Amino acid sequence: MSRWVMVADLNRCVGCQTCTAACKHTNATAPGVQWRKVLDLEVGEYPDVSRVFVPVGCQHCAEPPCMHVCPTTATRQREDGVVTIDYDLCIGCGYCIVACPYQARFKVTDPTQAYRQKRMPQEWKNEQPERLGVAQKCTFCSDRIDHGLVNGLTPGIDPEATPACVNACIADALVFGDIEDTSSNVSQLLAENQYFRMHEELETEPGFYYLWDSKSDKNEWDSGREA
Amino acid sequence: MTAQGSTKVPTYCYQCVAGPDLLTVRVVDGVATEVEPNFKAADVVPSAGKVCVKAFGLIQKTYNPNRVLAPMKRTNPRKGRDQDPQFVPISWDEALDTIAAKIKQVTAEGGRDASGYPRIAASFGGGGTPTYYMGTLPALLASIGPIDFGFGSGQGVKCYHSEHLYGELWHRAFTVAPDTPQCDYILSFGYNVEASGGVCGVKRHAEARARRGKRVQIEPHLSVTGACSSEWIPIRPKTDAAFLFALIHVLVHEEHSGLDLPFLKHKTNSPYLLAPHGYYLRDQTTHKPLIWDANTQSAVPFDTPNTDPVLQGQFTLDGLEIGADDEQWSHQGVSSQPVFQQLLDHMKSYTPEWAAEICDVEHKTIRRLAQEFLQHARVGETVVIEGRELPYRPVAVVLGKTVNNGWGGFDCCWARTFLACLVGALEVPGGTLGTTVRLNRPAVDRNASVRPHPDGFMDYPMNPTKKADWVSPPDVRNANRTLIPLVANSPWSQALGPTHLAWMQQQKGPENWPKPTPPGIWFVYRTNPAISLWDTKQITEVMAKFPFTVCFAYTRDETNHMADLLLPDCTDLESLQLIRVGGTKFIEQFWETKGFALRQPVVEAQGDARDLTWIATELAHRSGVLKEYNEAINRGAAGVPLKQNGHDFSLDVHREHSVEEIWDAACRAASAEVTEGKKTYGLEYFKENGWLLSPFPRLKWYLYAALEDQGLRFELPYQERLMRTGQELGRRLHEQKISWWDEQLEEYEPLPMWRDYPRMWEKALEKNFGVDINDYPFWATTARSMQYLWGGNVGIQMIHEVARNIKGHGGVIVNTKRATELGITDGDQIEIRSPLNVTYGKVVTRQGIRPDTVLMIGQFDHWATPLAKDFHVPSLNSLVPMLLDLTDSTGSGADLTRVQISKVGTP
Amino acid sequence: MNGINPWLQTHWDWRAAGNFITGGCGSGLLLITAVATLRGGPVTELTLLSLALVLVGLALVWFELGRPWRFLHVFFNPHTSWLTREAIVAMPLLALGLAAASTGWLSLLWIAAIAGIAFLYCQGRILVAAKGIPVWRTPRIMGLILTSGIAEGCGVYLLVIPWLEPETMGEIYPALLTLLLILIGGRLAAWWAYRDSLKDKAPKAALEVIDRSSSIFIAVGHIAPTLAVMLAWLFPEARLVWGVVAGVLAALAGWFIKTVIITRAAFNQGYAVEHSPARGGGKSGPGTKPGWE
Repeated sequence: MSRWVMVADLNRCVGCQTCTAACKHTNATAPGVQWRKVLDLEVGEYPDVSRVFVPVGCQHCAEPPCMHVCPTTATRQREDGVVTIDYDLCIGCGYCIVACPYQARFKVTDPTQAYRQKRMPQEWKNEQPERLGVAQKCTFCSDRIDHGLVNGLTPGIDPEATPACVNACIADALVFGDIEDTSSNVSQLLAENQYFRMHEELETEPGFYYLWDSKSDKNEWDSGREA
Repeated sequence: MTAQGSTKVPTYCYQCVAGPDLLTVRVVDGVATEVEPNFKAADVVPSAGKVCVKAFGLIQKTYNPNRVLAPMKRTNPRKGRDQDPQFVPISWDEALDTIAAKIKQVTAEGGRDASGYPRIAASFGGGGTPTYYMGTLPALLASIGPIDFGFGSGQGVKCYHSEHLYGELWHRAFTVAPDTPQCDYILSFGYNVEASGGVCGVKRHAEARARRGKRVQIEPHLSVTGACSSEWIPIRPKTDAAFLFALIHVLVHEEHSGLDLPFLKHKTNSPYLLAPHGYYLRDQTTHKPLIWDANTQSAVPFDTPNTDPVLQGQFTLDGLEIGADDEQWSHQGVSSQPVFQQLLDHMKSYTPEWAAEICDVEHKTIRRLAQEFLQHARVGETVVIEGRELPYRPVAVVLGKTVNNGWGGFDCCWARTFLACLVGALEVPGGTLGTTVRLNRPAVDRNASVRPHPDGFMDYPMNPTKKADWVSPPDVRNANRTLIPLVANSPWSQALGPTHLAWMQQQKGPENWPKPTPPGIWFVYRTNPAISLWDTKQITEVMAKFPFTVCFAYTRDETNHMADLLLPDCTDLESLQLIRVGGTKFIEQFWETKGFALRQPVVEAQGDARDLTWIATELAHRSGVLKEYNEAINRGAAGVPLKQNGHDFSLDVHREHSVEEIWDAACRAASAEVTEGKKTYGLEYFKENGWLLSPFPRLKWYLYAALEDQGLRFELPYQERLMRTGQELGRRLHEQKISWWDEQLEEYEPLPMWRDYPRMWEKALEKNFGVDINDYPFWATTARSMQYLWGGNVGIQMIHEVARNIKGHGGVIVNTKRATELGITDGDQIEIRSPLNVTYGKVVTRQGIRPDTVLMIGQFDHWATPLAKDFHVPSLNSLVPMLLDLTDSTGSGADLTRVQISKVGTP
Repeated sequence: MNGINPWLQTHWDWRAAGNFITGGCGSGLLLITAVATLRGGPVTELTLLSLALVLVGLALVWFELGRPWRFLHVFFNPHTSWLTREAIVAMPLLALGLAAASTGWLSLLWIAAIAGIAFLYCQGRILVAAKGIPVWRTPRIMGLILTSGIAEGCGVYLLVIPWLEPETMGEIYPALLTLLLILIGGRLAAWWAYRDSLKDKAPKAALEVIDRSSSIFIAVGHIAPTLAVMLAWLFPEARLVWGVVAGVLAALAGWFIKTVIITRAAFNQGYAVEHSPARGGGKSGPGTKPGWE
């Protein structure tokens, strides 16, 4: 069975927010809702400081706290690891939102629009009434995955079967694939690089891996930067 | 187009100079819903068919309810920021007839006014990118007489100005880039490629990082590019030249044996012998510069075969020296030394220890970087590119804005280019490349612009400085050809003049200069100088005095607030245009293909917006210049000559042609060019496929080959020609009793000398505003934002939303510790006061900025643009004065001033 | 948009807090009502009051739903969701309570009271399962929720009983005062245990809110009621007044701290990176967890 995961190469990411914007387009999210976004973090103090861009969003955890707390079973986990929300089941209690330690979930109660004075044509076209008052989050573009698989495509390789954020990434920092397949793009990256997952201590088993250094050239940060 | 169903329409985005990028737009039932990469282009363009975040703003840009969607005329004759223009909608007929009548009236009076300046002016923004949206407007402008393009909105002050001019002189490099696909080590002085390098730049640098290439970012704040670099060195603002000089010092005085001596001897002017007045010592008969040949132990002309030129030493010999205005000195038995010897002496005192004090960077760091640069240069190695063996030197030095423009820009550009020469890394694989020409010709192929100069270098179309043909009085208001010999005389040259001179003299003209006059008609397209130049208050006041201003208007903004007419033009996804793509273009756009791409109406035009080609054609017809207009199109004013490669698609010059007819002809001519006459494709083909490309040889990325073929050298390090030019220019100016350009004339020096540039700013502010600079303890700087740069997209909600994920878009960045010392915390409202003006904004505290520097990203401070006027984000532009003292010899300035900050409120 | 530091969740607002307050207090009151019958305490009115409080809590939750008319879906996930379980437990709680109130059968009341404790337990587990909110997810919050719910119930009992059945007061009141002392003692211990469990386990901003509220909670909910109980013992003629004061303060403090925990200290987890990446040929470095110390 496949297990779809996302790999973000922090060496590559430039924080441009192209993934953020692409996700907003493909998933027609409301103003202010960002299923995918990139954080701009600083580490250290002047002058010994570095700046890190970190793509975040639903981590499609193997042990998703959002799913366990959901009283309606609207949030479920597919066999391929994708955590889904059934908008028709969800009652919008918000419990999953507070259960998610990745701030990945949103709830929009009333219709919103980018400009106060008028709804634009594409906003009418992209209307998502089923999403009002319920929880929403990144789907790993599961509709694209499913459509691709039906048509013999490989998610993470063929754009039509790949999440929009990955397709859009101009630094090739986001990579999507099947971690169960040892020869897949993501498996290879994880084999070649050192990685962490966010908040691993919370035992959520996230499906989102952050590469921070290559294995072949292991750096020892605690020895400090070169003089 | 209103067809039901879902389609994907190919088009391009060229909102920034680092384009174009190909994309598709999903259209559902006639409504554009989604921007996507053009996956079909994945293998044919270096961006892999992807677009950056700005392109995703295009759909909101199209449907933005704040758009101006009908022609409007001003009904309040009084102009000013405090005046309501009282625009009222009018018909296109009325708008076009009004403009045509005005054009007729103005041209009937003669194209130039009493001061000799064109009566019609036009301003375009965005580093030339409006050209890729303005359809056939250039053909209209070409047919209505001389145009003053000198009222800039950032050119010279917001661009890589010195790089453009000196870059073109030295290696046909309007913009300079590392050969990133093969470069291993980059010293980046404020080069902000991750913000401004576009998809191609970002992608290539990400690849370079992935293969563990090292880039060191030297910059006062930890920019996005600094973030992505291997190391960040927080240098004191405007001291980069000292750092670069110290790098040269280390290489020439401490690491001499590692240098690429064959390159220096045979590919530069390092061995040229110098005469007593500082000009080359020349052969008496041929007038060729002399070198000292170690093989024959004699002075021989530089191009003598089989020589071993000597770089160091002192020689006594005879020769001819030619100075300014062809003044000649015949020398007998004079002492002469090669350029390189002179350079060694010149760089002697510029030690890392000296620079450390100036730059606030440890001398050990400077020395280490010089050594790393040399170690990575692989001097002696070669690589075969398309069958030709070339030197392989995977190191580069790149410069960013405020480093490569304004005072000090010359020093930095010189040092950068010469550092490449020292290790033989100029215009070779892995090294420092120029990527486009805009001043030299032909613009489509920088290799073809390589033509020999008698002194052994590339020729250069310098503006004349000899008495007989010096351009005086100036032919445009910024006097570009008069004051700036280096700016040449291409269609781009005007925009690169001292742009702020045009604005400044409208307030107060300089002495012994033609009387300043406003243009009779001012066209404005895709630019907003009222917020995007300096001293925005003064600029706004000046444009309020222009008698007749026509603005192509997307939304209301600060510049079109002063307009007499607003014309709603079709935006990016509504209009039709074919453009030339590929080859080598701005920033890091060097491709392995070249050809043409089409931008097409993805959706129907909103409201009464019209395609610019339609507007231009109508205006040509109504102004009575239809024939001239069509002839201009036939010549190639729409991007491609319509007659070529055995095909003639020329338009009938006597009748009006529809937008589609014009671009169909362009498509057919373009395809004939791409296929070398074998095939022609019409508009329908391009609409379906988006582009037509043919291979572009990689060898053409490297100018080294073209120079080698012609036996030419790079004109470095010695600037004999510039020195002569400066001498002559000085004489011409002084003959007219003009002394206000004297300081600029001093920059025409053969080897640049460090001046205390930070102090230069301090002194200019003290002198012009009577302040004590110690009351303004911070340097205020700016940086580009990928989300906004060149995009004209401040009014787009989604861009605003996603940009806020990147720190600094909401306010002014201040060092955390320094802010704490001042009792300021993140989110506090502060006043930022320069000697010129004051602005307000929120504090964003960050560790990644020098304690003596504050940073304002982008250009905001809007007061009329819908949405943006509610941002309340400060802009450096409101604070920086336009001063002649801070204008260098190329006519450029730098985004820099001193400020004080104080808290005025809490979050 | 929200930034990089943990920010205050706003999805569960005063309405959610209201459920923890009235639901918790109602469950506690039901238990005290049952316990008080051992000394002849009344059944009907106090049981009904308990149920009313629980119902108000559930109604507040209903008002918080994005899709209130789908409320029956709340019962769909008894396997893992403590919210479903709370809703399920509320059913026998309400039914048995109603039956006890109408019949006066003490056995029914006791079973209802046990359901009430189960309800209270579910409330605690709801918070523990909310992994996104560090000040909720600590298991030590269970002690606080349980002790406070019962203490609040006891406090309300002390407030209500003088008006309801003045004649039985002599029997019940001294014992209840003692019980209150025990309960708030237990709650104080639970509070300290709770706070201790948050050490290095919650964002700075959340801890600041908790610590700012702690002294008020301890003073109003524990020291002041203890003094009031002492005064009630010392001055039997004013026992009623001091008893009511002690009860009200003990209850109010519980409501206060729940409001604080649910709506003001509920900063989310925020983000963290374990390492800053090696950029190109540079070196990787330590990570960061913004907003945490």
